[in-house]
Amino acid sequence: MQLQYFLLIAAALFCIGIYGLITSRNAVRVLMSIELLLNAVNLNLMGFSNYIDPVEIKGQVFTVFVITVAAAEAAVGLAIVLSIYRNRDTVDMEQFNLLKW
Amino acid sequence: MGQFFLQSAWLIPCYALIGAALAIPWSPAIIHRTGPRPAGYMNLVMTLIAFVHGLFALQATWNQPAQEILIPWLQVAGLDLTIPLELSSITIGATLLVTGLNLLAQVFAIGYQEMDWGWARFYSMLALFEAGMCGLALCNSLFFSYMILEILTLGTYLLVGFWFSQPLVVTGARDAFLTKRVGDLILLMGVVALLPIAGTWNFSELAVWAKTANIDPTVATLLGLALIAGPMGKCAQFPLHLWLDEAMEGPVPSTILRNSVVVATGAWVLIKLQPVLALSPLVQNAVIFIGAVTAVGGSLIAIAQIDIKRTLSYSVSAYMGLVFIAVGTQQVETAFILLFTHAVAMALLVMSTGGIIWNNITQDLTQYGGLWSKRPISGICFLVGASSLVALPPFGGFWAFLEMADNLWTTRPWLVGVLLFVTVLTDFSVMREFGLIFTGKTKQMTERSPEVHWPMVLPMMVLMGFTLHVPILLWQWQLLPSWETLNKTVALLLVGASLLGISLGATIYLNDRWEKPITLVWKPLRDLLAYDFYTAQLYRVTIVFAVAVVSQILYWIDRFLVDGIVNLVGIATVFGGQSLKYNVSGQTQFYALTILTGIALFGVLLSWPVLSRISLIIGG
Repeated sequence: MQLQYFLLIAAALFCIGIYGLITSRNAVRVLMSIELLLNAVNLNLMGFSNYIDPVEIKGQVFTVFVITVAAAEAAVGLAIVLSIYRNRDTVDMEQFNLLKW
Repeated sequence: MGQFFLQSAWLIPCYALIGAALAIPWSPAIIHRTGPRPAGYMNLVMTLIAFVHGLFALQATWNQPAQEILIPWLQVAGLDLTIPLELSSITIGATLLVTGLNLLAQVFAIGYQEMDWGWARFYSMLALFEAGMCGLALCNSLFFSYMILEILTLGTYLLVGFWFSQPLVVTGARDAFLTKRVGDLILLMGVVALLPIAGTWNFSELAVWAKTANIDPTVATLLGLALIAGPMGKCAQFPLHLWLDEAMEGPVPSTILRNSVVVATGAWVLIKLQPVLALSPLVQNAVIFIGAVTAVGGSLIAIAQIDIKRTLSYSVSAYMGLVFIAVGTQQVETAFILLFTHAVAMALLVMSTGGIIWNNITQDLTQYGGLWSKRPISGICFLVGASSLVALPPFGGFWAFLEMADNLWTTRPWLVGVLLFVTVLTDFSVMREFGLIFTGKTKQMTERSPEVHWPMVLPMMVLMGFTLHVPILLWQWQLLPSWETLNKTVALLLVGASLLGISLGATIYLNDRWEKPITLVWKPLRDLLAYDFYTAQLYRVTIVFAVAVVSQILYWIDRFLVDGIVNLVGIATVFGGQSLKYNVSGQTQFYALTILTGIALFGVLLSWPVLSRISLIIGG
């Protein structure tokens, strides 16, 4: 009954990430929430790899890729946040609603 | 030779049509330089040709059995629309009456319309009428009679609306068209319903069929009622009579034609339909009732008019009512004689008064007076026309009345009473008109009143001569009762009624000491008659009001409900677009939420079979 706990924790982490993703006003905190999501996924992958595929551990390979891609994504995300900040002098998500109807 | 003219009798209506077409180029918009008179002259020549043709044809058909010509028109599927023409003494005689009266009216119009530019329009309309009526007389089919009646309705509209710059003319023409149209439309129902029942529209075949027909009495009644509605409107019978009053706004020469023969077109069809109408006693009673009411009402109203033309028009309604009575009591021959004598006499009366109007300007009877010494010819013509109209022996109208009263004497004596009443009233009415116009003191409007010039006097005189010959003609045609079979009681009653009416009228209106205007009768009653039983108001509060309300409601439904539903679709779409666009909030996080919600819902949807079982397990 170990896997379920891992999965539940990962799901909880994912939900916390989603909550943060949708409610945060700070753009950097949104990126942080995305990281939470990715780490929740990573937990899932690790859990499945351990309990279902302990021989070939393809899940761990996935996790490595996710971590690297996530790092790159976070870098690009921070770059975007920076460029917006240079123009608008704020990282408040609620100020970024120019592209509406 | 005569046979040739008889076989080509179908040309008689065509002459007039050619004349109508030839007159059009002289409309002011096409030929400006010569003036419009050639239009009139050409139509005159065409009518003369038609008249002469009719004379020759009449000679050929005299004392001969009726012949029939069939002109193919249209044959589709099960329907054979061939135009049957009946060539008998009566039909050819009717065309002669029409062309003869039209000839006189056209000569009269040369004088009367002297200062008018619209000859082309006027004469082509008159020619259209002549063609229509000759066609109606010759045509032996109910269907084509109906077609011609409709064309004549349109003709009435155009002819009454001749001087269309006058507002009363426009309303009069409108009423004349619509009133007659309503009757014609109901007639159309009858015409259409008759074909499957009788299998033919041919009048002579209908008469044969009606002899042995065995149809449901309700059907016969409804059919008959529909068939009399057309003639009712055409003959200006109650309650479809207002149009004739308003049609008096048209030019006088056309009034000659209308009062004498146009209104008779309805009676002609009614007479021809008599065998079909005889199928239902209820219809016959309805015809008699309508006729009697109109005869009494019309002659009462005629007394209370002060317009010289309207006085005569109500007498026309009354006399057409008598024709209705004759048809309702199955006296076809009497009806024909009555139509004939009435047409001649009424044409003479209208001509005479038309000449009076022409150079006294006013039509108000109360403005006239003292014209006898200045206008002897018009006066004599009026007297002859009047005597010929009412039951005064030995003039024409008397014999028609006599025959009718004689036939009614045993079967329906109360109708003889109606006849006598109409006689008294019409006598009184024409005497009143004569007294007011020709006797008494000269008034301002009649101070200088020369006799009119020859184009108006000539047709008047010719027609007077003919009117005087009517009894001789009737005698020649053996239509007069012989002295032995003469119902002397009836004759005496009629003469007595005439004398009563004349002496009453004479006492009041030929008597200078009797103060004019007469105020004998209680004023509301006088107003009731003078305003034609307030028929115009009656129309306005019933039919016109109902149709107006219904059309307003329908307009509203169309405008707001039908259009509204379609517009609502458009508005809802626009509203949807306008309001749903706020979903594009510009907030990235909102988009993310939307995506997640979508995925979550989709996931629930996909796994619904599993989920429902879980809930079942939990619940169970």
